[in-house]
Amino acid sequence: MTKDDTLTVWQVVELARHPERPYALDYIRRWAPDFVELHGDRLGADDSALVGGVGSWAGRTVMFLGQQKGRNFPERVRRNFGMMHPEGYRKAMRLARQAAKFRFPVVCLIDTPGAYPGAAAEERGIAAAIAHSIMEWFWLPIPVVAAVIGEGGSGGALGMAVGDRVVMLENSIYSVAMPEAAASIVWRDNSRKVEVAEQLQITSRDLLAMGVVEEVVEEPAGGAHTDFDATAKALERTILRYLEALTRTPTEELLQHRYERFRYIDSLIHADADFGPKVGSGPA
Amino acid sequence: MITLTPAYKDVPLVGSPLPEIPLPTNCPGCGVGLDREELADRAYVCDCGHHFEMRGEAWIAFLADLDSWAERWADIRPHDLLNWRLPKPYSLVIDQLRSEGLNEAVRTGTCRLGGRPVWAGVFDFRFVGGTLSIVAGERLARGLEAAASERVPYILVAASGGARMQEGVLALLQMAKVNAAVGRLHAAGVPYFSVLTDPTFGGTAASLALLGDVNVAEPGAKIGFTGPRVIKQATYADLPADFQTADFQLARGQVDMVVPRTELRPLLAHLVDLYST
Ligand SMILES: [Zn+2]
Repeated sequence: MTKDDTLTVWQVVELARHPERPYALDYIRRWAPDFVELHGDRLGADDSALVGGVGSWAGRTVMFLGQQKGRNFPERVRRNFGMMHPEGYRKAMRLARQAAKFRFPVVCLIDTPGAYPGAAAEERGIAAAIAHSIMEWFWLPIPVVAAVIGEGGSGGALGMAVGDRVVMLENSIYSVAMPEAAASIVWRDNSRKVEVAEQLQITSRDLLAMGVVEEVVEEPAGGAHTDFDATAKALERTILRYLEALTRTPTEELLQHRYERFRYIDSLIHADADFGPKVGSGPA
Repeated sequence: MITLTPAYKDVPLVGSPLPEIPLPTNCPGCGVGLDREELADRAYVCDCGHHFEMRGEAWIAFLADLDSWAERWADIRPHDLLNWRLPKPYSLVIDQLRSEGLNEAVRTGTCRLGGRPVWAGVFDFRFVGGTLSIVAGERLARGLEAAASERVPYILVAASGGARMQEGVLALLQMAKVNAAVGRLHAAGVPYFSVLTDPTFGGTAASLALLGDVNVAEPGAKIGFTGPRVIKQATYADLPADFQTADFQLARGQVDMVVPRTELRPLLAHLVDLYST
């Protein structure tokens, strides 16, 4: 496999958003051909921007949750371009609680420009939905592995990315806000997206260097869209390796480590001599 | 309006004399000329109900009984991790704000409220829009952890535009850091009261600010995830006049009550008593 270090940040952004890039269901169906999709938050709605369900993978049942974009225009609209409404987070937590009941590990696939920035999401409590999801992940007594497969945008991504391990595909991005939104916020000018993208440090290698993700999974030369099978295989190897170790970890240790992973997520920064204890040696 | 038993009428309207805040000469609510001292004694709320914007140190003075504020971790400083230059260098922005006497977007410490010991975390919107930063997140998480282990109620005063762009993804991850700590506070059975002031948005609204056992909004405060400017840009929607106001959020189940600032301290004292077991 070739590593292409010559890409500009914006070229990486374009690969992360490539319309031919594999989406969540492309991975899930390859990993677990017997995948059964489940629907609904049991509170009144089903959010198609988030797919969830169970399938057997490497000899055990796994709960898959994935932010899902559409392959063609009608599907993109139906999937709301991967932007979840509050109902999506509530559905995700319903399924995560179900996974806890049956001791299924959870795999989250992150691919969203952000939560839906529209009035309907506000009216139904998108902020609280994300807040509750983030808090609840810390109490789910099962292994959780998150993988950023395309765009990891803002709180909408983080709401699904509170994992014991978080990995990124090589040409995916993970950011406090998408470059257009960040440019609009700091500059009131979203046409400065390229410059802002370079400032934000959003590529997989940036995040690995910051200690925000455990591992970067290499993509086939040219990007994930050139070979779905090879990308799925590479990501499968990484996730299963982590799941294998995590499923052998006692629950108490798992949750303590998950707490510390995020509590001291900035510890590599050494922002201050007084800046908190560092992450202890966790499970494998 | 809140019904309070007579005992709580004795809790003073303000904890300590409030510092001066920027004020117009006339009230935008009723047009009446303003008497600074009188207004300060009334927590900067006009007789007509207009709430003037209080920031950082005014909120601390408001909450804390006289001489009871003990600030913690004031020495943790922000750093320019990303060598941010757009549209101006982040390090200059920080230096400028610090030279104005501001100490990050969150200050935290312990105090007494009507004699009751509490932990407090107070956002300051003047520091890069009250944005959730590494320093803000660290102060919040440490305070929440201390409150949990000391079993002391925690009071948050939120005023924030969300996560701080200039600290990149590590600012975003503060949402998880503080929510992890809020979760432990809840698990410890310690009460958590969140006061939402204008404005509370983005990553702050989508993390600790809406996770109180009781969420109290100030009248007229705007509270939401995505700001109206971005919503209009993204969806071309016409937004109703009351969109994202405190009353809008009350009607949609996001806050427990909308309470005038002049009734807030007696209410918080009452809640501390009701929830302390
Ligand atoms: Zn007035």
